[in-house]
Amino acid sequence: MSRNAHPHAMAPSKPGRTRTAPPQLPDRFPFGGRYLAYTLFDLTGILYLLLGLLVLCAVWSLGSGEASWNAVLERHRNIFYLGFHAIALAGLIFVGIRFFGFFPKAQPPRVGPLKPPPKGAILVGLYALWIGVTVCLSIVLAGGVFQ
Amino acid sequence: MSDGQQKKTFVITRFDPDRDDAPRKQAYEIPVHPDWKVLDALNFIKDEIDATLSHRWSCRMAVCGSCGMMVDGEPRLTCKEALDQYGDTVDVAPLANFPVVRDLVIEADGFMEKLTSVKPWIIRAKELAVEEGPMRQSPGELEEFKQFSMCINCMLCYSACPVVANEPEFIGPAAIALGHRYSLDSRDEGAAERNEVFRGEGTVFSCSFANECSEVCPKHVDPAAAVNQAKLNAAIDWATSLVLSRGGSK
Repeated sequence: MSRNAHPHAMAPSKPGRTRTAPPQLPDRFPFGGRYLAYTLFDLTGILYLLLGLLVLCAVWSLGSGEASWNAVLERHRNIFYLGFHAIALAGLIFVGIRFFGFFPKAQPPRVGPLKPPPKGAILVGLYALWIGVTVCLSIVLAGGVFQ
Repeated sequence: MSDGQQKKTFVITRFDPDRDDAPRKQAYEIPVHPDWKVLDALNFIKDEIDATLSHRWSCRMAVCGSCGMMVDGEPRLTCKEALDQYGDTVDVAPLANFPVVRDLVIEADGFMEKLTSVKPWIIRAKELAVEEGPMRQSPGELEEFKQFSMCINCMLCYSACPVVANEPEFIGPAAIALGHRYSLDSRDEGAAERNEVFRGEGTVFSCSFANECSEVCPKHVDPAAAVNQAKLNAAIDWATSLVLSRGGSK
């Protein structure tokens, strides 16, 4: 046992008659054992925050003229930005795989008379959708649709 | 116990509310049998070495859910865990995320309050008369909730959950799983009441799907599935209640 959990974690609404020792966090939290994947999953939120800021900056530059937009594109060729985007892509893939893995069991046994499809079918559908959207976006961004 | 028998050292977290300011560690080296469970070793220590050691246990067959403890940092039922899978030194501590009453005994009243808050019983708008006979249920209807009814309330899932550690209001895995079990029951009519609890102060939406509860469950109940299904049901119920005055649940 190492660090304290929230002092009121699992405490009854009325204190008992005897003094109690404060609740402790599990030893391995947050970076040991299985907690590591969960903590990394949560930490990817920082990547999305930074990506969001980059997108806002890019959109802002669109309103400031062509020179500003070209400057943004030039800046994104910097090795620092390329590295960041590579890390963000790895984070996105990690989150996607983890989310897809958990998604089937979060489905209710039925919605009205309908039962969810088998787990395998859900997984195939999710990955097919992910790959399809990625391919479509890549075609659009590469200028394949709008010249 | 004969000489040459294997020995293991148990490092046990001790806490006496009358004497100790904080929990402390105490080591016991004892001879062990190859077929012992962790609980057997704790009982040996209490019976033969130190009668002041306090721990809970009852059935010794992973049914009562009393003997949950942290064994080498993982929440485990000590009556179910074979001792030979551990090394020469075994660390035993009270369940994480719970206040400690004494040694390995945790305060369980907080859990009992959360459990009763989800109304884990069949709620009927109107009771059937005895002469109307039993309420029948098909195997398919039973299968929808059977898994969640296997929970033995051992609280291991609470001990593993990072949200429980940081949000005291969170209802938690076992209580939500049991509430969800009754909401799925074809004989029950209380899903709307439970969905209000699930959307309330200890909301199911606090769950961040760490999945630790399902990893440590000794009965393979999969509370994470129950919590996340309950999220969906609570959301659907809320959305339906906006357009239907009677609410969305059955």
